[in-house]
Amino acid sequence: MARASRPLRTFALRLGGAVFVLWAVATLTFFAIHLVPGDPAQAILGGPGSQASQEALDRVRADYGLDQPLLAQYAAMLGRLVTGDLGTSYSLKTPVAAVIGGQLVGTLTLALLALVVAWALAIGLALWSTAPGRTARAVSGAVELTAAALPHFWLATVLIAVFSTGLGWLPPVANGAASGLVLPVITLAVPLAGFLAQLMREHLLDALEQPFTVSALARGETGAGIRLRHALRHAAIPAVHLSGWAVGYLISGAVVVETIFARPGLGRTLLRATELRDVPVVMGVVLVVAVVYVVLTVVTDVVAGVADPRLRRGGSTA
Amino acid sequence: MPASRSRRRLAALAASSIAAVALAALAGCTAADPSTSSGAPTEGGTLVYATGDAEPSCLDPHVGGNYPQALIAGQYLESLVSLDESREVVPWLATGWTVSDDGLTWEFTLRDDVSFTDGTPFDAAAVKANIEHLQDPATQSSTGYLAVGKIASVEVVSDTVARLHLTAPDSALLESFAQPWTAIQSPAGIARGMDANCQAPIGTGPFVVEEWVAQDHVSLVRNDDYHGGPADRGRDDAAYLDGIEWRFIPDSASRYAALQAGEVDIIDNAQPDTLAQADEGGALVEIDAPRPGASNRLELNAGQAPFDDERVREAFIRAVDVNDGIDSLFFGTAERSYSALSSVEPLAYADESLFGTDLDAANALLDEAGWTERDADGIRSKDGVPLVLRFPVSTNQSIPAEQSLFEQVQATAKEAGFDVRIEPVDLSSWYGALFANEYELVSAPYTKIGPDVLRILYHSDSITPAPSGYFANLAQLSDPQLDALLTEAASESEPAARAALYEQAQQIILGGFHALPLYDQQNHFLHSAGLQGVRAMPTVSTPWFADAWLAG
Repeated sequence: MARASRPLRTFALRLGGAVFVLWAVATLTFFAIHLVPGDPAQAILGGPGSQASQEALDRVRADYGLDQPLLAQYAAMLGRLVTGDLGTSYSLKTPVAAVIGGQLVGTLTLALLALVVAWALAIGLALWSTAPGRTARAVSGAVELTAAALPHFWLATVLIAVFSTGLGWLPPVANGAASGLVLPVITLAVPLAGFLAQLMREHLLDALEQPFTVSALARGETGAGIRLRHALRHAAIPAVHLSGWAVGYLISGAVVVETIFARPGLGRTLLRATELRDVPVVMGVVLVVAVVYVVLTVVTDVVAGVADPRLRRGGSTA
Repeated sequence: MPASRSRRRLAALAASSIAAVALAALAGCTAADPSTSSGAPTEGGTLVYATGDAEPSCLDPHVGGNYPQALIAGQYLESLVSLDESREVVPWLATGWTVSDDGLTWEFTLRDDVSFTDGTPFDAAAVKANIEHLQDPATQSSTGYLAVGKIASVEVVSDTVARLHLTAPDSALLESFAQPWTAIQSPAGIARGMDANCQAPIGTGPFVVEEWVAQDHVSLVRNDDYHGGPADRGRDDAAYLDGIEWRFIPDSASRYAALQAGEVDIIDNAQPDTLAQADEGGALVEIDAPRPGASNRLELNAGQAPFDDERVREAFIRAVDVNDGIDSLFFGTAERSYSALSSVEPLAYADESLFGTDLDAANALLDEAGWTERDADGIRSKDGVPLVLRFPVSTNQSIPAEQSLFEQVQATAKEAGFDVRIEPVDLSSWYGALFANEYELVSAPYTKIGPDVLRILYHSDSITPAPSGYFANLAQLSDPQLDALLTEAASESEPAARAALYEQAQQIILGGFHALPLYDQQNHFLHSAGLQGVRAMPTVSTPWFADAWLAG
C-alpha cells in the first residue's frame, strides 16, 4: 500500500513545494516593493510633468486601497491570488493577466531561442576546449571566461554599433521580422554560453579520465567520437539541471535587452511597473516567472533522468 | 581656479570625446548623401516616429497629463486655440472669443464645419462635456484639471457659442486652452469609459488612432476629412502622409542607430552626444524646440535649515560653477539660462549678474552665517551639524549629461564646504523623498504655456503642509509679497501691467537666491533629410505632421 501511494506522495510534495515557492515569492516581492520609498498614487496620476491635486490623490488612494494598512493590503492581495485573480494594473488600468498575456510570448521566445543558441555555443566551446592541443584549451578557456563576464548592456551596444550602424546587416531595434531577433538573442546567449561551457568542460575533462573512456579507446573509438557519444552525456547533466536557473537568468537579462532593442516583453513591463510602483503588475510578472521556473525545474529533472539512467532506476537521487 | 577642478573637467571632457570619436568612426560607413530635394510635397507613405519618452499609460491626455501624452495626442486631438510663432494666441477650433469686463464670463465662438472622426459633430455641447470631463475627479486628471480650475460652469448658448462662467478672472485661460492636455475629444468617445477612451481617444485631428500595441507602437492613420487646423497653418487639406507608426524606443543609442539605419524617420529626445555626432555627419536635420514654462533649474529648499538662511543660499550659488560643465557635457547644444522661465516665454526675466561665481564671497557668506568649523575633508559644520545638501535626482527625468552636470555641482560646491549628496533614484522614490521633505536641492521640470507657471511653482499655496501629497513649490518659497504679485498677475488682463507684475515676481524669486537656473527644458528632434515640412508647434513644442511628407 505504501508502495502504491509513493508516486502520489512525490507528486503532492512537489506540488506543495511549488505552492510554497510561489507564496514565498509573492510575499518577498510585496514587502520588497513597499520597503522602497515612493508613492504609487503619484505615479498613477501621470508621473513627470503632471502635478496631481490633493483630491485626485485621495481618490486614487481610496480607489486602489492604498490608504489601507500594509498588512490589510497584503491579505487582500493573497486573497485575490488564491482565486487566481492577478488584479488590475495601477498605471495601465487593465487586468494584469491581459498585460502579461500580451507580453509573455515575446519574452519566452527570446529566452528559449537564447537558451538553444547558448547550448549550441556551449557544446561547441566545451568540445573544442577539450580537444587535444594546448592552444585550443588556452584560447577556448579565455573565450569562455570573457563571454561569461560580458554585461548584457555592453554587448548589446557593441553589437548594434558593429552589425547595424557599421555593417548595416541587421536592424538595431525590433522590427517584427526574424532579423530583428538575431542581435537580442546573441546578446542574451553569449554570456550564458560562456558560463555553461565552463561548467561542461570541467565535467567533460573529468569524464575523459574515467575507465569507460579507456575501454572505448580500446574498442577503437576515435577521440572525437568518445567526446560526443560518451563524455558529453556526463558533462551535460549538471548543465541541464542549471537550465531552469538559466531561464530565470535570461528573463532578468531580458529587462536590459528588451529596453535596448525596443522589444515588447515581460522585462520591459517589469522595469516600467517597478518604476511606477505598479504593485499588481510587478507581482504578476514575478509570479509568472516563478511558475516558469518551477515548471522548468521539473522538466529538467525529467531530461536529466533521460540523460542519466541512474536517476530513473534508483528513484533516489541523493 | 584650483587645479583639481579643471582636472576633473578635463577628464570628463576627454572621456566623452573619446566615446564620441569611437562612435563617429563606426558611424562613418553609413553617412548617406544629404539630398535635400525641396520639391513639391509627395502624397502617401507612413512616417515612422521613434520616441524616447515613456510610453503613455493612457492616450487620452485628460487622464494624468504629462509630456509623452502631449507628444502623441497632438496628432489626433485639436485644441480650442493655438499660438503662432510670435506666441500670440490664434484661433483653432474656436474662431473667436470675448471676455466680460469683470473677467468672469468668456464667450467662445466655435467652428461649425468640424466633426469628430466618429461622426459626432463638434459643437458647444462637446466643449462643455470636455471641460466637465477634466473637472471630474474620476478622470484622474492633474495637468488639465489645474488648467480649468477657475471654470465654474459651461453654458451652451447655441451650437457654435459656449459661455464659460469663472469663479475668478483668469489671465492664463487662453494659454491653458492652447495646451494639449485640454484638447477636445468626442463626447461619445468619452462616454465609452476610461478603458476604451485611453486605448483610442477620438478627436478632430489630422490622424486617427488605429491600434496600440503595448510597448511596441501606436498606429495612426490619416483622417481623410481633415481640413482647417490652427490659424497659422497655411494649408487647409488633409495630411500628405497615409499614417504614422509611433514607436517606443527607450534607449537613446538604439534610437539613434535606428534613425541612421533608416528604420525610423524621426526621433525625439536626441541626446547631446548624438546631436554632436549628427551635426558632424551632416545627413540628418535637427529641430531644437525648447519646451515652454519653467526652465530647468535647481530649487533650493528654503523651508528648512540650512537654506532657510538667505546667506547660505547665496553662498551655494556663488560656489557652484555650471557654465563649463554645460558647455562640455552638452557639446554646445544647451544654452545657459539665467531665468526661472523658458527662453521661449516672452515674459521671461533673466538676470545674469545674480549668478556670478565667486568662491571667496561664498566662503565669507558661510563664515558670516556661522558655518565656521571644517572637517578633514573641508566640509563645514555649525554647532556640530555638517553642511549637508541632500539632492534626490530622478533618473527618469534627468538625462545622463544632466546627471554628470550635477556631479560637477557637487564638486564645485565642496570647495566652499558643502557636502552635496546626490541620490539617484527612480521616479516613485523621488516623489517619496520630496514629500518626506528629505531634500535641500532638487531639479523638477514643469511644462506649461505662459508665465502663470510661476504661480504654480512659487506661490505659497503650492506648499502642502502635511506630508501627504506632491507640492509644486519645491523651493518652499513663502513670501506674502510674491503671493500677492502672482495672484494679481493671474487676473490682470492688461498686457503691460501683467508683464510688469511678472517681472517683479521673477526679481523676487531670483534675487532671493531660491533657484539656480541651468538651461531651457531640452527638446531636440533629429530626422532624416527625406522628411520635410515638419515643424514643432509653438504651443508646447510637440511635432506637427499634418504638413509633413516623405521625399524620395
